[in-house]
Amino acid sequence: MNKFILYSILCLLFLGCNKNANKQFDVLSPDKSGIHFSNTLKDTLGQNILDYLYYYNGGGVAIGDINNDNLPDIFFTSNQQKNKLYINKGNLQFEDISFNAKIEGENTWSTGVAMADVNNDGLLDIYVCAVVGINGFVGSNELFINNGDLTFTESANAYGLDFDNYSSSATFFDYDLDGDLDMYLLNHAIHSEESFGKASIRNNRTYESGDKLLKNNNGKFVDVSEEAGIYGGANGYGLGLAISDFNADGFPDIYVSNDFHEDDYYYLNNGNGTFTETLKTHFGHVSKFSMGNDAADVNNDGFPDLITLDMLPEDEKVLKSSAGDDNIQIQNLRIKQYGYHYQYARNMLQINQNGGSFTETALMSNLAATDWSWSPLIADFNQDAKQDIFIANGIPKRPNDLDYIKYISNSQVKKKMETTNLIDKEALNFMPDGKLKNNFFEGDSDLKFNNKTQDWVSQNATYSTGSAYGDLDNDGDLDIITNNINAPASIYINTTNASKNYLKLKFKYTNKNRFGIGAKAIIYHKNKLQSKELYVQRGFQSSSQPILHFGLDSIKTIDSIKVIWPNKTFQTLKNVASNQTLDVSIDNPKAHDYKVATTNNHSVFNLEEDNLGINYTHSENNYIDSNRNKLIPYQISDRGPALAIGDLNNDGKADLYLGNGKHNASEIYLQNESGFIKFEDSLLTKQALIEDNSAIISDFNNDNSNDLLVASGGGEFFGKSKALQNNLYTTANNSLQALPFPEGFEDTSVIKAMDYDADGDLDVFVGNASMSNDFGNSPKSYILENNKGTFSKKSLGKLGMVRDAIWTDFNNDNKQDLIVVGEWMQPLFLENTNGEFIDKSSNYISNPLNGLWRAIIPFDIDGDGDLDYLLGNWGTNSKFKASEAFPMLMYYSDFDNNNKTETLLAIEKNGVYYPQEGLDELSSQLVSLTKKKFTTYKDFAGKPINQVFDEAVLNKATTLKVHTLASGFLRNTNGKFKFVPFNNQLQVSPINCFTKLKISGKEQVLCAGNYFGVKPYHGRFDGFLGALIQNENEIKLGNTLGLNFFNKAVTKLDTITINNKQYLIAVIHNEAIQIYQIQ
Amino acid sequence: MKLFKFIKYNKIIAILTISMLLHSCNTKQEPIDITANDFYNGVDLVTQIMVHDIFSPPVASRIYAYPNIAAFEIIAQNDSAYKSLAGQLKGLKPIPKANSKDVNLKVAALVAHMELSKSLVFSEEKVIQYRDSLYNIWSNKNLKQFEASKDYGLQVVKSLKTWIDVDNYHQTRTMHKYNVDADNPSRWQPTPPAYMDGIEPHWKKIRTLVLDSASQYKPVPPPEFSLKKDSQFYKELLEVYNVSQDITQKGDTSKEIEIAQFWDCNPYVSVTRGHLMFATKKITPGAHWIGITKIACKKSDYDFEEAVYAFTKTSIAIFDGFISCWDEKYRSNLIRPETLINQHIDETWKPILQTPPFPEYTSGHSVVSGAASTVLTTIFGDNYSFDDDTEVPYGLPIRSFASFNKAAEEAAVSRLYGGIHYRAAIDEGLTQGRKVGNLVANNVKMK
Repeated sequence: MNKFILYSILCLLFLGCNKNANKQFDVLSPDKSGIHFSNTLKDTLGQNILDYLYYYNGGGVAIGDINNDNLPDIFFTSNQQKNKLYINKGNLQFEDISFNAKIEGENTWSTGVAMADVNNDGLLDIYVCAVVGINGFVGSNELFINNGDLTFTESANAYGLDFDNYSSSATFFDYDLDGDLDMYLLNHAIHSEESFGKASIRNNRTYESGDKLLKNNNGKFVDVSEEAGIYGGANGYGLGLAISDFNADGFPDIYVSNDFHEDDYYYLNNGNGTFTETLKTHFGHVSKFSMGNDAADVNNDGFPDLITLDMLPEDEKVLKSSAGDDNIQIQNLRIKQYGYHYQYARNMLQINQNGGSFTETALMSNLAATDWSWSPLIADFNQDAKQDIFIANGIPKRPNDLDYIKYISNSQVKKKMETTNLIDKEALNFMPDGKLKNNFFEGDSDLKFNNKTQDWVSQNATYSTGSAYGDLDNDGDLDIITNNINAPASIYINTTNASKNYLKLKFKYTNKNRFGIGAKAIIYHKNKLQSKELYVQRGFQSSSQPILHFGLDSIKTIDSIKVIWPNKTFQTLKNVASNQTLDVSIDNPKAHDYKVATTNNHSVFNLEEDNLGINYTHSENNYIDSNRNKLIPYQISDRGPALAIGDLNNDGKADLYLGNGKHNASEIYLQNESGFIKFEDSLLTKQALIEDNSAIISDFNNDNSNDLLVASGGGEFFGKSKALQNNLYTTANNSLQALPFPEGFEDTSVIKAMDYDADGDLDVFVGNASMSNDFGNSPKSYILENNKGTFSKKSLGKLGMVRDAIWTDFNNDNKQDLIVVGEWMQPLFLENTNGEFIDKSSNYISNPLNGLWRAIIPFDIDGDGDLDYLLGNWGTNSKFKASEAFPMLMYYSDFDNNNKTETLLAIEKNGVYYPQEGLDELSSQLVSLTKKKFTTYKDFAGKPINQVFDEAVLNKATTLKVHTLASGFLRNTNGKFKFVPFNNQLQVSPINCFTKLKISGKEQVLCAGNYFGVKPYHGRFDGFLGALIQNENEIKLGNTLGLNFFNKAVTKLDTITINNKQYLIAVIHNEAIQIYQIQ
Repeated sequence: MKLFKFIKYNKIIAILTISMLLHSCNTKQEPIDITANDFYNGVDLVTQIMVHDIFSPPVASRIYAYPNIAAFEIIAQNDSAYKSLAGQLKGLKPIPKANSKDVNLKVAALVAHMELSKSLVFSEEKVIQYRDSLYNIWSNKNLKQFEASKDYGLQVVKSLKTWIDVDNYHQTRTMHKYNVDADNPSRWQPTPPAYMDGIEPHWKKIRTLVLDSASQYKPVPPPEFSLKKDSQFYKELLEVYNVSQDITQKGDTSKEIEIAQFWDCNPYVSVTRGHLMFATKKITPGAHWIGITKIACKKSDYDFEEAVYAFTKTSIAIFDGFISCWDEKYRSNLIRPETLINQHIDETWKPILQTPPFPEYTSGHSVVSGAASTVLTTIFGDNYSFDDDTEVPYGLPIRSFASFNKAAEEAAVSRLYGGIHYRAAIDEGLTQGRKVGNLVANNVKMK
């Protein structure tokens, strides 16, 4: 024992000497700072997690200089105790003046805090939110007007802000640009939604839980929510509030994060005092249990991006013992029947695409899983000119622990119900603790963030809720404060100091908005820009120092700064020195033109509104692969439809064949003088059952008229289902007639025609993707050799799960070879050797390169004169993870010996492979192997795959691998190929298709993607906008060129010439076709 | 904590082994007395484990039936009062005969019962703990007899397993899930608050014990789905709503609410308080009737063999009852009143009981109560009054009934009071169950 103490002292001494050497942040101890504030919770009748659902949400922090001595002061809200105000005395010493300042508050339960100069006297006032009206909570929201002598007068009533409802937080901003500060009050419902209820409940205003927009009418705040279009329903669980001019029109917009199944709200400011909520049209999906948020430009494009927090854990032990995502059918029910949007339980980083839609990248950006998270702050903490992200997290009790829910709560809760209304300590103690270290992410390039939690600070785990930043010691860098439950507040002192440069901007705007809330600054240096807006309500229930801070790395002088004022004027400052706090007053500003930022100057693609008469919508039947095969990693039945272009009626004009989903007839459109007309044929209706994946229009029987070859498949049909048979039709007599064609019952994904044996007729490569009810197995692919119109099969063996292929002469021997790509396989280089196709891949690619390849196209992307090959893959914005060192694994076997095969996915985390699925999912398919072995979730959670399943069970399985998920290209260097991934803009979704097109005489490649055939565990891949690849360095996203691919799964792209004009055809899964004229 | 237990457990084993060794030198030859209580305790244990492990009602019926059948087959072989079920239950062949005079058939029956129960539940360790304490007692009393009986019991289990293993249970585990199709207005869809998947959509594929097929007693179809005010279906829908409003007004102490809660028998009621979720767990409808069987056996002072007989026959009826019922449930796939009332009548309405996660028609509790009560009536007679204290461990009171049939009728109508079934599912369910019960009572000759 003595030894232990001695050792501990030595340790402490050692630490004391070493004092966080080289750490980005030092934690300031309460004894040094004088800040002993702790948000201490004491369970009482009515105040406990059973009686108040947000009992663990904690308090907020506000940082601002309340006595104008240039030292930012700190205010904390305490849920149950007195609020605290600490005056900054310099040297990181603070004094508690709360009592004398008369600012401790009278409320039973305080929540968020906002600082603003509400009465326009140049002094920061403090607004404190409260929950009032349940469980005996009394009081009202309080407005502490700063008297200027370190005392405050509570005056909420005089300003019309004394709400006695369920408030989370509030923010002051000028929404109508009339010059004064209005207020948004964020409220939350307090009841438990046991049933979904329709989303439209949000239209019925309720005082207690509905959000409120309050217009400042000469110092009196008036509720204008209704006429302004702000929802105020009983299902609003508002926890996060961000104000930002998201669409860059000069009018501040509002993003509200709602907890539970209520959607978040994205209010675009109409500029006339009203807002339009447009979440569904601008976001593909959002956080489900949305908590705090922050809006700031993280990718230096001038548009504010958005982070919203949720509760997905990274730690396998927590992850696999916590309640997971909805199942897919419930998701669909909630969306289709109840009118909600797609929501998934993880943090989201929403990248603003030029003020239009948002592309969500948190998985790719490494930000998705920070466990029970409350408050994000985006700022450049290490001043390297790239935005970093701080995340405060932790919860005293994890109520979503599955063992607690299923096995422990029963007896414990019953005990409570029988005895008292107070959940007893014992019952609570069965819920696991959720103490966590606050997370630090260092911004990297290309939308990446690196977790620096361990490197940047030595800290204890806490339950941190509200957080704010400010420069507490005036050394130029940003410090962070968190409000902690049952522990002193954490104060992180930034040690960047003089090692990197900075600039702080402090605005002196008009009398009614002295701090310049809503002002925006764009700084330009070395051809790069950084942009920030001054809104202080950030993170969660908290308010940061009202300054703008820029990290400048080694830049000494900034080329220019554009300051855009809230009144839509701007002024430019040139050659500004770094490392100073610059006071900026409004000075001879000019009108700012907002349109410049959002207008795309060179629209390449123009949507044909009437689609040239093509009234085609792809319609997939509602089949869920995982209902039948519960462990399948993604859908295999939804990859169509087919698109073929060619002259079907011998009039010299190209016509269209468009496949369709099960029970929906394929369609043919014939080109005429003005556009297209639909060609009706009873055979199409008769064959409606078929799912067409690929088609070719060409003359297969050399009768000088084109035929139509259609390949069908889909994971839904099995055995010798007629719907799996590929068909060849002639259109010789103005109607479709089937021609004899070899039998084949595979799930065909691609057909590619080529006269590879140079005998004058077209042969066909037939690539097959999957085996129905036997996912993981490989079907055989083959070549159909054409002998004067009669086809014979030439098997290529089990190539893998083929998705695409091209005929190409990769060895320059003037014979057409094949490159075949697919899922869980590497690109196969099949050399045409005297009519036989020999796999010579290893001669061409040296590194293992299995992917979930979906598309390939030849293109000289590096302009060196030889053909490279562009490859579409799954993308890296996914819960899948793969690398050469740690490939993603899929075990395939009949694990439980019931004559039915299954697949098990294993993904590496910190060098260990874990099953992707949780215990419930695994036992839904493999009950005999799992449920008896693991009778609690705790036993299962954190177990590597080889402990979940015996080695013997895994060893008998076939192991499939994926080494890379990135889309990219194979660079041709003297006939050898090396894979080069595209940049991250092209990794946000699977890339499904490519097409070549000529723009301004230059051949370029357009790619498109997105995919929805995954479980809610993955979410949706909806944010890829298409990209035009001119060369490896010049890639432009589709939205800047006139394409509208947001939230659309584009499966086929092709071009067609109509009246000598080039058009782009985009076939979209489950949606109407799009046709663009190419400029 | 666990490690500590483990060490302690090992110690016990060590002591046991030593004491057993000592005993073998000085072998006792006391008879091992087995009473009906020993059997009740074993069944009760299985019930508790099933509550913990959360088995759905159909699966629970299977976990009761097979161990009971094993115990019965063992005691039936040497007792002329009882007839083996071999040849009477689908596919069941005679079990191997005990070929040692040392075998105590009651011990062997309990061994088989425990062993099969262990293999059918998830939390095996609880059975093992209980089993080992009994083994300890028995081996102390008469090691030779115990060993012989145990060996024989396990032999029977092994032989029965070949029969049990081909009842299609394992295949049905991996069959496809119920397809939710919200566009079809009459089709069942998951219900609040947990919106669980439809459970056991393939239960009709489980091999029946006595029924010739799952659809032998296929009930008449439910009233045709219609939301027209004058349709029978809508009237029944409205009845659920009105009855519920009515009795809610009367308050928690009303007779109807007491009845609804008494017969809830929902193994997993999930409760949500914000992010806090928990479950209240109770026994299944089948388990409730197993409980009533015990009450009757005790009241009639049944001996071990009689008790095993009564339990076995009742659990056979319950087993086939669930198959018959589930066959219809996933034939008609009828939507629950909660969904329709929320959609068309009252958005905020919540049933008094939580809607269980499977289609509405016919009512499972009604079918099973009909089947079990019919069999119990043939065993114990009609107008057999009893005090039902089955639900006392779950915080519910004792209710008294004049007969099994009366209890079954109350169980059936409790689903209307609870707001989870329409009238037709209750009436037709009871009829369907009674047919199953009669078939078992009349065709299965166990005495």
